[in-house]
Amino acid sequence: MAQTSTQKKGVGSVIWEYLTTVDHKKIGILYLIAGGFFFALGGIEAMLIRLQLAVPNNDFLSAGLYNEMITMHGTTMIFLAAMPLLFAFMNAVVPLQIGARDLAFPFLNSMGVWLFILGGIFLNLSWFMGGAPDAGWTSYASLSIDSPGHGVNFYALGLQITGAGTLMTGINFATTIITMRAPGMTYMRMPLFTWTTLVAAILIVFAFPPLTIGVFLLIFDRMFGSNFFIVEAGGNTIIWEHLFWIFGHPEVYILILPAFGIFSEIFSVFARKRLFGYSAMVFATLLIGFFGFMVWAHHMFTVGLGPTANAIFAVATMAIAVPTGIKIFNWIATIWGGSIEFTTPMLYAVAFIPSFVMGGVTGIMQAAAPADYQYHDSYFIVAHFHYVIVGGVVFGLLAGLHYYWPIMFNTMLNEVLGKITFVLFVFGFHLTFLIQHFLGLWGMPRRVFTFLDGQGYNAANMISTVGAFFMAAGVIILLINIVMTLVKNERVGTDPWGDGRTLEWSLPLPVPYYNFAQVPLVRGLDAYWIEKNEGDGKMMPAESIEDFHMPNNSIIPLIMSLGLFIASFGALYFADGKDWAIDAVSALDAKPWALPVLVIGLGITFVSMGVRSWKDDLGYYVTKEEIKKDLEELERGAK
Amino acid sequence: MAEMNQEVMTKSQLEYLRNQRTKEMRHQLVSFGLMIFLTFMAFILAASDVPAQFTIPIVLGFAFIQVILQFFYFMHMKDNGHDFAKLLIMTGMYFAIAFVVCMIYIVWIGAPIE
Repeated sequence: MAQTSTQKKGVGSVIWEYLTTVDHKKIGILYLIAGGFFFALGGIEAMLIRLQLAVPNNDFLSAGLYNEMITMHGTTMIFLAAMPLLFAFMNAVVPLQIGARDLAFPFLNSMGVWLFILGGIFLNLSWFMGGAPDAGWTSYASLSIDSPGHGVNFYALGLQITGAGTLMTGINFATTIITMRAPGMTYMRMPLFTWTTLVAAILIVFAFPPLTIGVFLLIFDRMFGSNFFIVEAGGNTIIWEHLFWIFGHPEVYILILPAFGIFSEIFSVFARKRLFGYSAMVFATLLIGFFGFMVWAHHMFTVGLGPTANAIFAVATMAIAVPTGIKIFNWIATIWGGSIEFTTPMLYAVAFIPSFVMGGVTGIMQAAAPADYQYHDSYFIVAHFHYVIVGGVVFGLLAGLHYYWPIMFNTMLNEVLGKITFVLFVFGFHLTFLIQHFLGLWGMPRRVFTFLDGQGYNAANMISTVGAFFMAAGVIILLINIVMTLVKNERVGTDPWGDGRTLEWSLPLPVPYYNFAQVPLVRGLDAYWIEKNEGDGKMMPAESIEDFHMPNNSIIPLIMSLGLFIASFGALYFADGKDWAIDAVSALDAKPWALPVLVIGLGITFVSMGVRSWKDDLGYYVTKEEIKKDLEELERGAK
Repeated sequence: MAEMNQEVMTKSQLEYLRNQRTKEMRHQLVSFGLMIFLTFMAFILAASDVPAQFTIPIVLGFAFIQVILQFFYFMHMKDNGHDFAKLLIMTGMYFAIAFVVCMIYIVWIGAPIE
């Protein structure tokens, strides 16, 4: 590992390296590739939805296929695109930002990425294996228990696998940030991206178990004959809604907080100012995370919780606007009077403020429970959550992609093409979704596959579809940009943006596989900026050059995840043709091979867990001599 | 290879460590015994003819003490350096209780407050 990583390698060994890697930088790249792939899939599904709705009475997609399309679009975008892409940046940046050599549990990190990738593939295999899930991304139990065929089984099992990976990654990041910061990096000196990652990781730890429970109950109901949600047998479908939204609401903060972190970094770097109100920003982040758990029932105002419950949840929801407002004003104050440079990431960050505020304001409108009865299940809701998720999270991801690209790939994305992408994407985004607010207020319901002529929806839907094409054009130009940059491969040196403030920019590019030859001493917030202005522009080491310990690569995470992937096929077909099964699958042919497949899959997972537990893998040491050699080479390169 | 950098302990260090471990073991055994005793008492209460209104709060009280013992003695919450874990467990418990109370109230009891 240590010796070979600097040498030229064949394609096979590169693939093997990525299959077995436990290095957070490479896992970040895996997350980026897989998340980008699923982002493209979700985008194609979105385009098909918009094409179907472009004209009234359209028959481009059938009603059933349309349901599958919206379900898979939502599920893919949330679980398989937005979250993994955020994990990509967390993996690539957070350990560097806090001065660590890797995450606390590198093996677990590798588990996380493989569980996500295999879970995502499993979910999308449904397209080729008898139909995708069609009960909406929320998969409300009364719909999902009723849905015929295996679609919802794919949803439940796929989410269980990716969810396990996400939970592991959340635990991993929380532990890493709490225990592995460099000397001098106190909590109140952590960069904002690290702070938001910490809070998001804690939210994952608290929010994913309810989803795991809910999805397990769904799996038991659909595949193993239990009756948790089956009303005829004494079950209660409302429990699913509660479990789902107890997870689902914190989930949107898990998405938006890291995006907030990325924007905070970008604002202060490209305005060349310290982040305004740092401590207020940290406090607001924590408060948003805390409030996020207290508001889940605002997704269920029309379920009939009663006026008291609705009032409590309405007020709690409105309270979240306060810390979010603090953040918005702090960002504006950060730019204020700064020496601003409008790079592509900065453009996204600036466009994010008004877009996200618009989404926030419609959110407060919906928080008023009586008014929500009017907005519920209309396009107003669709417009709202796309404004916060695209205007917040996706802008954050695109900004982060341009901003952190040099750290991940040692090159710079083309700025001109980046700005063209920005213009097309932001223009297309507002064209698509602004009009949907009005469509909703005019009464167009969401999740309906077509609409009639003469209701006044025609022009607005056409405008919305045209906007979607602008967004697609923006993404295609981004892809061209990425391919061009990778082909040209013009390497950049340390601190490519010129104004890096935090630790990750102090490292040489490409970042050595051990990150820090010597763990740096942190003297304050924006550690690298302090050394640039008060020191000699280099981080002071906090230790002498010494041997240090690194983990070995391992294929076990992939095999362990593969076991669960195989077991899922067994579970998927287990209930077919059984007389105790739900109506959705009881009429299908019995599959006697389902149980053996389930057992074999779980067996593979347990055996590999055993191998991991009983076979000692103590890692290896990076020696003093090697580090000295690397440092000398670096010195020579600089001269 | 992991042992490469380990240094040999001095005699007094070793003795101190032994002492600490004996003490730790004593704590574990005492709390374990206490927990068995509490469980035993709970069973006796439930099996005997004591009225339910009396049994239920006492058994719940025992359960609470057991949870504390579990957290502090078996899960090392009493040791130093567990501040963050403690904070997270407390927060998690707060959320869990809030969820359970809310769900029982909303789903099964309905809305009794008019």
